[in-house]
Amino acid sequence: MPGMRGASVIVLAVMMGLAGCKIIKTPTAEESATGGFDPDRMVAEIWESKVVPYLDKRAGPLSEVASLAASNLEAAGAKYGHKEKQGSAPWTFAARLSGTIVKAETKSRSAYVEVDADGDGKADARVQIGPAIRGTAIRDSLDFVNFNEFKNQIEWAQYGKAFNTHVNGLVLEKLSRDQLVGKKLEAVGAYPVPAKGQLPLFVPVELTVGG
Amino acid sequence: MKLTRRMTMAAFAAFLAAGSAIPAYAADLIAIITPSHDNPFFKAEAVGAEAKAKELGYETLVLVHDDDANKQSQLIDTAIGRGAKAIILDNAGSEASIAAVQKAKDAGVPSFLIDREINATGVAVSQIVSNNYQGAQLGAEEFVRLMGESGNYVELLGREADLNAGIRSKGYHDVIDEYPEMKMVAQQSANWSQTEGYSKMETILQANPDIKGVISGNDTMAMGAIAALQAAGRKDVIVVGFDGSNDVRDSIKSGGIKATVLQPAYAQAQMAVQQAHDFIATGKKPAEEKQLMDCVLINAENADQLETFALTN
Repeated sequence: MPGMRGASVIVLAVMMGLAGCKIIKTPTAEESATGGFDPDRMVAEIWESKVVPYLDKRAGPLSEVASLAASNLEAAGAKYGHKEKQGSAPWTFAARLSGTIVKAETKSRSAYVEVDADGDGKADARVQIGPAIRGTAIRDSLDFVNFNEFKNQIEWAQYGKAFNTHVNGLVLEKLSRDQLVGKKLEAVGAYPVPAKGQLPLFVPVELTVGG
Repeated sequence: MKLTRRMTMAAFAAFLAAGSAIPAYAADLIAIITPSHDNPFFKAEAVGAEAKAKELGYETLVLVHDDDANKQSQLIDTAIGRGAKAIILDNAGSEASIAAVQKAKDAGVPSFLIDREINATGVAVSQIVSNNYQGAQLGAEEFVRLMGESGNYVELLGREADLNAGIRSKGYHDVIDEYPEMKMVAQQSANWSQTEGYSKMETILQANPDIKGVISGNDTMAMGAIAALQAAGRKDVIVVGFDGSNDVRDSIKSGGIKATVLQPAYAQAQMAVQQAHDFIATGKKPAEEKQLMDCVLINAENADQLETFALTN
């Protein structure tokens, strides 16, 4: 039965072929974007134990951070900042802010208050109070998280967003939006090097407004 | 059939390798592989990489894979066969390309990726990519501002297999979805293509005449969309793109497209060649494999400074 023998050779060849193969399921776009990855949980797990203590320890008074950054950016970065080793991301600084609210924009979803820290009546920083928070300053200020440990930009982005979501739920949502101007503000947080002529866009991790 | 084809290709690659054995005096070769140069973004990458390679004394082999992973695989074979010392690659898909880059690595040819990531580390030496998420957020913030935080809009998506299509869409929505009065009435892929951008926009506009804005995953689709909108007499619709091409710069200056986001394509490609050169010459790898390059918002205020995917001051 030459035909049969031929067939069995083919079967054997196919089986050998299969033995050398590993079947890998091709993930759908959605699966590869999420795939068991839970950034909200990851952030919640390190928030109290690492994120807040790190920024609290690392932060300098905003006026000092800003003036050192203006005269020597690298020195300010080494002392208060963080950035990825490669690439072109700007420094993100940890800072402590204490002052008086001189302006409040609360109609926009990306609401903010402007704070005078040195008592000259002019704003020294713009503090984001959510619910829409721009950028990824909290993530980018931390020296213990690294893009290279994430699968791709999508996961890295979701992780960055999770910090904003977390601080929003924990701190910012509880903030009263009424008559903010004139009140005192105390905050610890982070901001990336602002564009020339712009105020630091500060994202708090701790915030109190009163008096 | 497939096996035969593959064997033929292998034989062909071997033939190429033998046929073009490099004479001892020839300069080292760097292969530069990107998607089609029809999109000026990829052309700028190839031109930037080639200029830097020549400046550093290399010969270059410039190839295009047309976003076809099979073709990319053949081109990698060609590069290996030609004895390339390094491959500069803007890849044809974040999953499908892993095997191709691995193949080059196994053959002793290091790859330096630009623009698009692959979903693996330790295979390429470098992955220098635009921070698409940061850029998309800039574009979306500008879009929301131009829209006055409310209104119906359309999103044109890039090619699905390209991770950058997903990441830009995510960046857009992480900003836009914070504004409940912004309503997306249509979301379609136009595969990064200008002609598809045009035809998709035409169809969408017929079904949704009440749109106020269009946010596009890249500039070529935005160019297609603005052309369709203008042909329909809809000069009121706000269009925002992504890439920072000269075409969109000119459209911004003449009051067409409102904004885009510059990816430093030229600088990125040059940086990849420099890292390839350092690796070839000294074996030194960059401190981190994955490297993000920040993007810059382009609108009427700074469009004048934009030239071939770089800002001049």
